[in-house]
Amino acid sequence: MRGRPAWLWILLVIAAVGTVPLLIADAFFLRLFTEALMWIGLAITWDLMAGYIGYLNFGHGVFFGVGAYTAALLITKGGWPFWPALALGGLAAGLVALVSGWPTLRLRGAYFAIGTWALNRAVGQVALVLDFTGGPDGMRLPPFLHPQFFAYVMLGVVGATFLILWLLLEQAPFGLKLKAIREDESGSLAIGLNPAWLKLQAFVLSAVPTGILGGVYAYWITFIDPSSTLGDLITDQAVVMAIFGGLGTLIGPVIGAVLFFSFKTYFWAYLSDYQVLYLIILGLAIAATVFFLPDGFWGTVANRWEGRRALRKGLSLGQAAGT
Amino acid sequence: MLALLPQAIIDGVLLGGIYLTVAMGFSLAFGVLHIIDFAVGEWIMLGAFIGLIFTKWLGVDALLSLPVVFVIFAVVGWLLQPLLHRVLSGSRGRPVLMGLVFTFGLALAFRGSALTVFGIFTHSLDTVLSQGSWHLDWGPFFLTVPLIRLAGLVYALAVILGFNYLLKRTDFGLAVRAVAQNKEAAGLMGVDVNRTSAAVYGLYVGISAMTGVFIGAIVSLNAGMGPDLSIFAFFVVVLAGMGYLAGVPWAAFLLGLIQSFFLIYFNPSHVLLALFSILYLILLISPTGMFRKGV
Amino acid sequence: MSGAVLKLEEVRMAFGGLIAVDDVSFEVTPGEIVGIIGPNGAGKTTIFNAVSGYYRPTRGRISFLGQDVTGRQPYELAAMGIGRTFQIVKPFAGLSVLENILVASYLRHPHQGEARSKAWEVLRFIGLADRADLAAAGLTLAGRKRLEMGKALALEPKLLLLDEVVAGLNPTEADQTVQLILKIRDTGVTILIVEHIMRVIMKISTRIIVLNYGRMIAQGRPEEVARDRQVIEAYLGEGIDAAVGS
Repeated sequence: MRGRPAWLWILLVIAAVGTVPLLIADAFFLRLFTEALMWIGLAITWDLMAGYIGYLNFGHGVFFGVGAYTAALLITKGGWPFWPALALGGLAAGLVALVSGWPTLRLRGAYFAIGTWALNRAVGQVALVLDFTGGPDGMRLPPFLHPQFFAYVMLGVVGATFLILWLLLEQAPFGLKLKAIREDESGSLAIGLNPAWLKLQAFVLSAVPTGILGGVYAYWITFIDPSSTLGDLITDQAVVMAIFGGLGTLIGPVIGAVLFFSFKTYFWAYLSDYQVLYLIILGLAIAATVFFLPDGFWGTVANRWEGRRALRKGLSLGQAAGT
Repeated sequence: MLALLPQAIIDGVLLGGIYLTVAMGFSLAFGVLHIIDFAVGEWIMLGAFIGLIFTKWLGVDALLSLPVVFVIFAVVGWLLQPLLHRVLSGSRGRPVLMGLVFTFGLALAFRGSALTVFGIFTHSLDTVLSQGSWHLDWGPFFLTVPLIRLAGLVYALAVILGFNYLLKRTDFGLAVRAVAQNKEAAGLMGVDVNRTSAAVYGLYVGISAMTGVFIGAIVSLNAGMGPDLSIFAFFVVVLAGMGYLAGVPWAAFLLGLIQSFFLIYFNPSHVLLALFSILYLILLISPTGMFRKGV
Repeated sequence: MSGAVLKLEEVRMAFGGLIAVDDVSFEVTPGEIVGIIGPNGAGKTTIFNAVSGYYRPTRGRISFLGQDVTGRQPYELAAMGIGRTFQIVKPFAGLSVLENILVASYLRHPHQGEARSKAWEVLRFIGLADRADLAAAGLTLAGRKRLEMGKALALEPKLLLLDEVVAGLNPTEADQTVQLILKIRDTGVTILIVEHIMRVIMKISTRIIVLNYGRMIAQGRPEEVARDRQVIEAYLGEGIDAAVGS
């Protein structure tokens, strides 16, 4: 391949982004920066299932919540230090994916969407009623207010997630196999693929980083409750960002997350009195994107490039044939 | 303990009736239009609220709002269906997936709108039947059958019978069944597929909205009640077997019975979790529904 | 027995009350091209589905290379060496032609580099190399049928099941496909082919099996089968023996 390999470019970009917290120490900005990164992580992990395999996980937030609560419980009740608690948060989320994925992934796309959605709500209910998790009042974590620290942690987690997903989905055979399942699950059996196993792997892969993100969130915000970590809003926003950016690629959701998060920040600044209005905007944004731009922002742009490239190729082939 | 059994059964049957209406329309929409409408719960919720407005505004009994609610929402559904159709027949992206996401987005928008306009508070609809109930003394058993719940069951049965008649004995029903089986062939046979599809969707939305009025009267209504209702509708339909209309009544009553048993014998707040676990188990054993006739 | 690539023993496929395949037994020896013919609904594709693992036989045994493979999953059979095409072609529409073959190549070549080389090799073999970057959905029917065969070939199968790969093609395309099939046979792959187009299947098959209502009513060389009374009545009609003779 000409030029430097993709993973090197990715590392360079991550490093470049990593200089930002050094240059801008303003706490408010760093908070936005960290949150934007978190949404990138949520959007790309959601896209793994939705875009690459075509399975809509409308309960994706459950991994985030499980990770957040696991880490929070370990830190507050178990006295664990941050890093191991984080790791276990991710593991717990992965376990949830493993157990719930085995039955639900057998179902076709729509049932899966409902099943995961119901799971998210069910777990949310559990968190509401258990005293152990603080019930509706949630849990408070020991304050550790270091904006730069969290900016780097988030960058590290999301950057690593992106890199790993890139390697697995765009370089390794894994990604193409998932896409084959998406295109024709039944036909993929004939070429030697085991969809059940591949889907489960992908499901767990989408869960673990999300759980870790939840753990980081818990320690960062120092307060979690069922509505903020196990509510619909986590999934809803991840969905908008991924769809708006473009499913089936890793870059699409990144762009979608950045764009939508920027919009959200502006919106919050001017219209924070009308929080329920946000739901309407989210919903309409999802519906409108699907209606007008089904390939998403990046998808549409990428298609145009492909189209022009194919055209040029076609023309050059034609020229060769003519001679 | 056992003395509560007949009450639990009656409650279950009555609950099942409500589940039935929620699920029937939804199943129809899937069977004919191949749309899985994530907004079903929202339609119910909106129907309840429009019923509330109508009742408060005119000071009439909530049950009188039923026809109005039906008409309003049937029209809304009729107008919305072409949009859905466009999404589902798109050549870009993955249409079926996009259809799901589209209705998901709509549901979110509806919920947000309802929360904005009506706030987060719970209301209830008053009807002449709200306070009344039948008391049955039957040996050692003492049954209470709230009239409004009974009315809900009557409504459910009326809807089923109405559907059955419509589908099996009218020309329109014939067209609907034709479209459900083979859209292209139906079109070639002279069926106006677009109009029929729009009509079916309008019917489904209208009926769901009317169900909302009943739920508002029987239980309560609030702007956030959509998702749980959608999940219930899905549970029923998935349990019955997706697209298998005949199985819906059985699945609905089964779920109603399970829920009522939970409410009476166990902790009510675990209902969703319990239902969910049961659904999981059943789907593990038989993904095509309890009759194994699903799609 | 020891030589047979594929062996069906009293295989029965019943769907509820309908018996689609009724105690069918036959063998396929290495290097053969065995053609299966019969009216619609005779059970031809059902047999393919049973052999490739999509259906589990209600009764009977299927052996591949001496091993009992009855009821195994399609992906296990693919790994063992059975490749198939589908009657209604199933390309991975959103992927490119190259990617379609590439995914199949991963079975024998788990690494990206080797798999790519293999995929290009297959593309050149089937003549789709010039359309490698085209979306599979953009191929003509002839192209899609080729792609279908290419996907199966990338598995490096020992037994290839071809389901109506010539149907719907114009005569030129059909002849090209026939050439391709013979080329595949020459690489040592045993072929089981279902086809309705008589001149094709009679010409290339070393042996023909005739199915009717799920039962095998005749088996033998094309000329013999064409003259079989039962076969003529059930399916071929008069006059076909003259066509076969040419």
